[in-house]
Amino acid sequence: MVFIAIIVGCMLGAIIGIYAPIVPYTYSGYLAIAIIAALDSVFGGIAATLKKNFDLKIFVSGFFGNAILSILLTFLGQKLNVDIYLAAIVVFVGRMFNNLAMIRRYYIEKLATRKAKKE
Amino acid sequence: MNKKQISITLGLMCMILTVSIFIQIKTIWRANTTVSQSFTENGLRDEVLKWKEKYDNAYYELGKAEDELKEVRESASQDDATSLAKQEQIKENNILLGLTEVKGQGIKITLTDNKASSNDLMSMVNPSSRIVHNNDLLEIVNALKNADAEAISINGQRIVSTTAITCEGTVIKVNGQKISSPFEIKAIGSQALFSGSLTMPGGYLEIMENDGVLVDIEYLDEVIIEKYDGVISYKYVHNND
Repeated sequence: MVFIAIIVGCMLGAIIGIYAPIVPYTYSGYLAIAIIAALDSVFGGIAATLKKNFDLKIFVSGFFGNAILSILLTFLGQKLNVDIYLAAIVVFVGRMFNNLAMIRRYYIEKLATRKAKKE
Repeated sequence: MNKKQISITLGLMCMILTVSIFIQIKTIWRANTTVSQSFTENGLRDEVLKWKEKYDNAYYELGKAEDELKEVRESASQDDATSLAKQEQIKENNILLGLTEVKGQGIKITLTDNKASSNDLMSMVNPSSRIVHNNDLLEIVNALKNADAEAISINGQRIVSTTAITCEGTVIKVNGQKISSPFEIKAIGSQALFSGSLTMPGGYLEIMENDGVLVDIEYLDEVIIEKYDGVISYKYVHNND
């Protein structure tokens, strides 16, 4: 059920995205940061599901909150002439790798236990 | 919260995410940028794109402002006959200055650089003669003016009183805008006069054709000539009343 919803959502999004108007180049930097933040939230959500402490409220608020906050920080950085978006990218991508490592470890352990059971 | 709600929320969020990713990809693709390692290059490219955007916006604003000005003029001079006459005068003056798009019977000359290698000894010795130069354009514009042309444009650049046709390295600039082959010269005026002055034996077009430039002349009943899209301003000229 959940996976079907995710796949349908992604396909719908792709179709809408193909026909959606493009944003001005000036704002594409903000959108990029928001996408990175949202992706980080998605990976965090998957990792939390595997750890069995997934909370939808935290997930949704993280998804939108992180995206908006990162956009605001990027905007502030541009006004102050500091590349704050670099810090945001480092944090988000670093967390993404952490979560990915967790997901990978979880499945490898699962595979290993299954193999052990077979033998 | 039940499972249905969770899946709907997740689907919606995935949709938002993919939409934004696609929009971003399209934006970057349109901007035609490749990922570069050098920060300065990226910064410069950013600047250029931003300025281009600003220029486009400003140009659009200019067009809107011109339309508004026209409307204001029309509404201001709607009331009485004298202003109506003035309005007519303004229109006429704008046609004379080249600030309005005009149409009428005329001629279209297309000059193309001859890229094909020919065995003609002259052009082998001097390939430059097969290329259209700014002097050629000047000669033709002069001939057209001599034949009472009322409006002339080259590749969409209206010839006005301040127009210069210059050679800038490998390109020709008209009104400060770069243009290149094929050159499309359009003029409004008497077709008989044009054909007499331009295609006479020993005329400039014949000389160019003999030199190897591809010349194509079309007589059209309706030639549309674009308006001059720059600004004509006088700083030193005053009325001598």
